[in-house]
Amino acid sequence: MKIKFLYIFLFMVPGILLYTMFVAYSFGYSLSLSFFSWPGVGPKIFVGFQNYKDALVGIYSTEFFRALSHNVYFFALVTLLELGLGFLLALALATQLRGYHVFQTIVFMPNIISLVMVGFIWGMLLNPQIGLINEFLRSVRLGGLARGWLGDSDIVLTVIILVNVWRNVGFYILILLAAILNIPPEFFEAAYIDGATNLKITWHIVLPLVKPTFQTLTILLFIWSFNVFDLVYALEGVQAGPFRSTDVLGTLFYRTAFGGLGSARLDLGLGATVASLIFVIVFPVSILYVYFVERKS
Amino acid sequence: MLSKLGHLVSLVIFGVVFTVFSSTLMITAQTTEVEIWSWRSQDAEVWTQVEERLKSEGIPVSINFRSFLATEYDSKINLALAGGTGPDIVYSRRLPGVRTQSLIDARLLIPLDGKVDFSNFTSSVLKYIQSGGSTYGVPFAVQVVGIFYNKDLYNEYGLSEPETWAELVGNAEILQQNGITPFFIPGKDAWALVMQHAMSGVSLLGPDWIESLTKGEVNFLNPQWIELNRKLNDLKKYYQPEFLANTVAEQDASFAFGTAAMVFYGIWGYQTWKEFNPDVSVGYFMVPPDDPGKEPWAYVYMDGALGLTSSSKNPDMALEVLKFTATPEFGTIFSNVTFNPPAVGGAELPADPLFEEVVGASQEKASPWVYWVGSVFVTGKPSLYDDVLSPGMQAMYAGKITPEEFAKEAQDAISQWYEPLKR
Repeated sequence: MKIKFLYIFLFMVPGILLYTMFVAYSFGYSLSLSFFSWPGVGPKIFVGFQNYKDALVGIYSTEFFRALSHNVYFFALVTLLELGLGFLLALALATQLRGYHVFQTIVFMPNIISLVMVGFIWGMLLNPQIGLINEFLRSVRLGGLARGWLGDSDIVLTVIILVNVWRNVGFYILILLAAILNIPPEFFEAAYIDGATNLKITWHIVLPLVKPTFQTLTILLFIWSFNVFDLVYALEGVQAGPFRSTDVLGTLFYRTAFGGLGSARLDLGLGATVASLIFVIVFPVSILYVYFVERKS
Repeated sequence: MLSKLGHLVSLVIFGVVFTVFSSTLMITAQTTEVEIWSWRSQDAEVWTQVEERLKSEGIPVSINFRSFLATEYDSKINLALAGGTGPDIVYSRRLPGVRTQSLIDARLLIPLDGKVDFSNFTSSVLKYIQSGGSTYGVPFAVQVVGIFYNKDLYNEYGLSEPETWAELVGNAEILQQNGITPFFIPGKDAWALVMQHAMSGVSLLGPDWIESLTKGEVNFLNPQWIELNRKLNDLKKYYQPEFLANTVAEQDASFAFGTAAMVFYGIWGYQTWKEFNPDVSVGYFMVPPDDPGKEPWAYVYMDGALGLTSSSKNPDMALEVLKFTATPEFGTIFSNVTFNPPAVGGAELPADPLFEEVVGASQEKASPWVYWVGSVFVTGKPSLYDDVLSPGMQAMYAGKITPEEFAKEAQDAISQWYEPLKR
């Protein structure tokens, strides 16, 4: 019995070491740093809960809660669009009509492009003067709709979310398609024999059986939405303009911890505070995710 | 026969490879590497020429120049120097400012007094890199910002350089009536909007008013500040459509190819415009004051300095490089490659009328009081630059806040920490 335990322990050592070095230590260090003010060099000054006070009720609270609200909006819209659209397209693909493989590949393709490249491509497409989107609108006599997509604070966050949907929807289609194809065909055959319509089959058979996948994907989307950074950074830069209308917790963290053009305060302590607050938001949902995955398995 | 030929070819290839390899080894063995980190990728050619120059003087240096994104540069420097793995020389930001001050406080930058001859610099330039009575870098450039215009378009429509704000608006009106975009504004890059505000401020408010602001005798709610906001806001009808979605890169292309007549920008753009279109004819004027009786002023600031780090693996050779950067010869190389006015005096500047005019403005008309880079208003948090003017200019231009609300935001933010304005 002792030998068996030793073997188990030995096999676990590499994992424990990696986890301790790259997760536990980093997290512990970040948490401890959030109680200091530190520009990255020189002595760290202990400030207690001042950074938390600044972020939650002090001079940084407006920025923090504005960024947080953008993350919430981001999550709500990507969930609706990526899962909604993903489900509808997965349903269509599940019929396995001729050529569905080609369509599936096309839809999935943007997912393999790096987000920085996606940002560059869409930055060009959305250019107000020479961008393809505005050119197209003008060519079909809808020039009134043409606008500075990435400079209009009323729509820019939604535009970024739509770009995100364009890139990621293929992934959700694949997952949901697999879940739908996993449903035993006998269920559909029985329903059709009983005279059920396609709508009823979708509502009473497909949706309930795909629900656990939806739950898992929603939780994953929540975690990803609160960690979103690269697409906003690629399209709007570290200042998350115009006038912070695309600022999310990720860009706020980056600007605070690492500075940026014009930053007067470069404080890794305050950045660590923002990171810790992101963790506080994401951690309970991650637990929920583990619970659902465990239950599913 | 074929076999002999094969042997011969192999021998030749071996000979060539051996010669190249051994000569590379010899060069490497004879030179000492000095690593330089910067946020200015356009300076790579400068360092190639500096290396050649030093080698020709018998100094066996090999310069390894690396540039990083401006937004990531400071954190990279901090982490590398704190970990003892940084380069020999860093480009450091001007003082006052926490980014360079924290390096000085942590003793990661070495004082250069007594090691480098600073006699070719004026005290007004050196003060931007001095702390506690010591000099922590060799200033490399002085930047001048103002309005740059397309001379061909100005000539075509019979326009002359405006002497008042009203004349500037008049020129814009004529250009617009003729189908030309008067101003290209990169509204997506908030820092460029702040620069526009700041360069307009030195002329429209005047240095005396900014001095009063700095001393707390007036504040941001003063009617003159609000009027400045309003003037800029009223000017936006002369900008390209949807200007809040355009970047500096788009501005450079548009201006270089003559689709826009004027830009609020810095002399560093000249290098890019000339690269895009060697035939572009560019003129410069300071933002004109509103009153014909007043003088215009130029916004001039020291861009940064070259500092010797505590991590330097070859401090003696790095010092040789820094000594050279304090000479007029370096200024000559620097200005001829980059079209940036060098910080060091006595350099042979490029024989270019625009460049000479801009350098003249920097020497004779530099505003002694400013509120953007190089000012006290960007040394605390919330910063006038990053937290007020950056988002505020975009918000005002987008019509989300009025010039009065914009002024109130500035007053509310800066009075949180700047003692003279707390009253």
